[in-house]
Amino acid sequence: MKVEFTAAQDALRKELRAYFDELMTPALKAECDEAMGEGGGPLWREALKKMGKDGWIGVGWPKELGGRGMSPIEQFIFVEEVMRAGYPFPFLTTESVGPQLAEHGNERQKREIVPKILAGECLIAIGYSEPGAGTDLASLKTSAVKDGDGWLINGQKMWTSLAHFCDYVWLACRTDPDAAKPHKGISMFMVPTSDPGWSCSPVITLGEVRTNATFYDNIRVPEDAMVGELNGGWKLITSQLNRERLSLVNFGPTAEMFNNIVRWAQTLDLPTGGKLIDEPWVQINLAKVRAGVEALKLVCYKQAWAMTEGNLEMADASAAKVYGSEFFIEVYRLLGEVIGEASLISRRTDGANPIASRIERLYRTASIITFGGGTNEIQRDIISAAGLWMPRASR
Amino acid sequence: MDFGFSEQQRDVQNLAREILSDSVTAEKLSHYDDYKGERFDRELWSKLAQAGLLGVAVDEEYGGMGFGFFELGLLVEEAGRTIAPLPLISHLISSALPIQQFGSSAQKQKWLPGVCSGETLLTAALSEAHNDDPAEPYLTTAKVDGDTLLLSGQKTNVPFANIANRILLAAKSSDGVVVVLLDPKSEGVSLTTQQVTTYEPQFVVNLDNVRIHAEDILIAAADGKAAMQWIAERSTVALCAHQLGASDKAMRMTASYTAERKQFGVLISTFQAVGHRAANCFIDVECLRLNTYQAISRLDGGLDATNEVQIAKIWAGDVGHRVSYAAQHLHGGAGIDRDYPLWRYCTWLRHNEMVLGSSAKTLAKLGKRIAAGDAFCS
Repeated sequence: MKVEFTAAQDALRKELRAYFDELMTPALKAECDEAMGEGGGPLWREALKKMGKDGWIGVGWPKELGGRGMSPIEQFIFVEEVMRAGYPFPFLTTESVGPQLAEHGNERQKREIVPKILAGECLIAIGYSEPGAGTDLASLKTSAVKDGDGWLINGQKMWTSLAHFCDYVWLACRTDPDAAKPHKGISMFMVPTSDPGWSCSPVITLGEVRTNATFYDNIRVPEDAMVGELNGGWKLITSQLNRERLSLVNFGPTAEMFNNIVRWAQTLDLPTGGKLIDEPWVQINLAKVRAGVEALKLVCYKQAWAMTEGNLEMADASAAKVYGSEFFIEVYRLLGEVIGEASLISRRTDGANPIASRIERLYRTASIITFGGGTNEIQRDIISAAGLWMPRASR
Repeated sequence: MDFGFSEQQRDVQNLAREILSDSVTAEKLSHYDDYKGERFDRELWSKLAQAGLLGVAVDEEYGGMGFGFFELGLLVEEAGRTIAPLPLISHLISSALPIQQFGSSAQKQKWLPGVCSGETLLTAALSEAHNDDPAEPYLTTAKVDGDTLLLSGQKTNVPFANIANRILLAAKSSDGVVVVLLDPKSEGVSLTTQQVTTYEPQFVVNLDNVRIHAEDILIAAADGKAAMQWIAERSTVALCAHQLGASDKAMRMTASYTAERKQFGVLISTFQAVGHRAANCFIDVECLRLNTYQAISRLDGGLDATNEVQIAKIWAGDVGHRVSYAAQHLHGGAGIDRDYPLWRYCTWLRHNEMVLGSSAKTLAKLGKRIAAGDAFCS
């Protein structure tokens, strides 16, 4: 065991930090801020293509798939750095659906879609939840019915984030309404958002982040739009979610924010004399964040390592998601307390402190991931059952 | 970033786990409850010595295995898992390791072979009243007298001071901090028994002009403070490793209990409220594990680890506290029943939480380092 970066990994982190310092121009930063940390704008797209061209998106992917052949640890280092830089990285596409397509996709998908993902030219949204199927995902009703040599898709999805600028939806459909268990009748499809039968309407959230309701009206897709086996979608969903959970709790942005707030507090003069950072309660709040970020870093890298070794444990992925999502909320509170009332001032105020206004916004967005990506109650069920072998109630 | 154990680490872990889990039973542990007997299983001590484990991190030339600090940490974790009645931390980490690191060759020759064979028992006095910073002794002073030192003052909570051959302790002198190996039988030393929550034999060591001869001076005044910092970090992280083993075991004992106990006709593990509290323990223990391994790994590799050790200790304090109460609560009455093995774990979780700096105190220390610009996230 050696819980430290190798010299090569340290060098990679440095290289990436310099790369993103250059990539993140003020104009791109401003565009990303306007998009509420979601991306999708023209400069954002351009930057993504540049990352693709420079070989970063697939740094940890095997060479035969167009990657650089490094390990999932290097891949995680890349994602950590890109997110630390404040670029809204489309990790759902690159880190969760992409690897699923590479592993389980058919020849056409591997030939046409995967290289585009690595080139930063293809974006994919996730279509799981429905108005009546949230945590109980297996009860989903959006249907795909065999139609000659293709499939006819009808239904509605909820919380289809990013869909308004994505090329495909990774869509979970019911293909066998009579399956003995509901999760055994689900298949996965790659549905193009360019289809005339596809539409979406915005849902604006507390943190101003846009998500969508998406509609599927008699969309006909060819046979090879299916991913994996007929009625074999559940396994793809759970394994996609395991990967998504790791990306959701990336510690890079929090580490960066912590460092910025420490520097700010070190220089801020209090009207009563002394610096803000001299206050004992400020030091305690910062120490709590620092100790928590360290754990998050280790939890993330242990999983990246486990992926490299091919033994990612379900309980560990769920533990990371629960810990990270609940810790973020705590972080924004602890750091918000350090900043004080300024952490209520929006970035739209002239002269707003960018660090403080970031906390203002993040505090409003943080609640999303305690239930998004699989609600934490279900994650805790998974942990007690898979991690501690505790028998659980049947559902 | 490599989170896997090497073959050597796995061997040490398995060997320690096998010996300790075979030998430490609830029935045996009950013999030490309420100080009925001295909490030291000498038979088990010699078993560990025979297996080479007491010398796991001692150089081969002194009869050890010559492995590193990581392997030693794994041994301590296993001792925590069984709450073995052995003074492993005070003997191996707080005393033998510093002798190996800082001692003269005569001192190493004199003490280390006995450490490995189990015939010598060492301990360390790291605390004073209201002062648990081993590198800053306030209440113990040393006066130079020729090539000897005269020590006066008081140390508290010294494990096994009554039977140790030497006690490592630090004293404030006019030009720094000296570290000595005190023979508790010396003239001017008096011991007062302390009864503590774990039933470990502990003593207040009173020093009244105790003469320390040159051969028992381990570290001179100029280097003493840094050396005590070195010792404190390793001792602290050893407490974290012990806490990791103990909290992991308490958690798993609890999970098993809920998978057997029925109420309302069903296993209590099937209640979400029960499963979720156990899941919180799982997350907590994982965070403690990773932070502890990181700190040990860095110390093992000779890297600076002050921040990482402090962070591990904060987790050790918080996790120990939370797991202890969750484990008792989920057991219901069984958790506090002295005929069921859990309760002893709770006292050790408390011990490890409080010794060498609680979470609150360590947060304050880390906060100071953050303020000084010494603890940015890398």
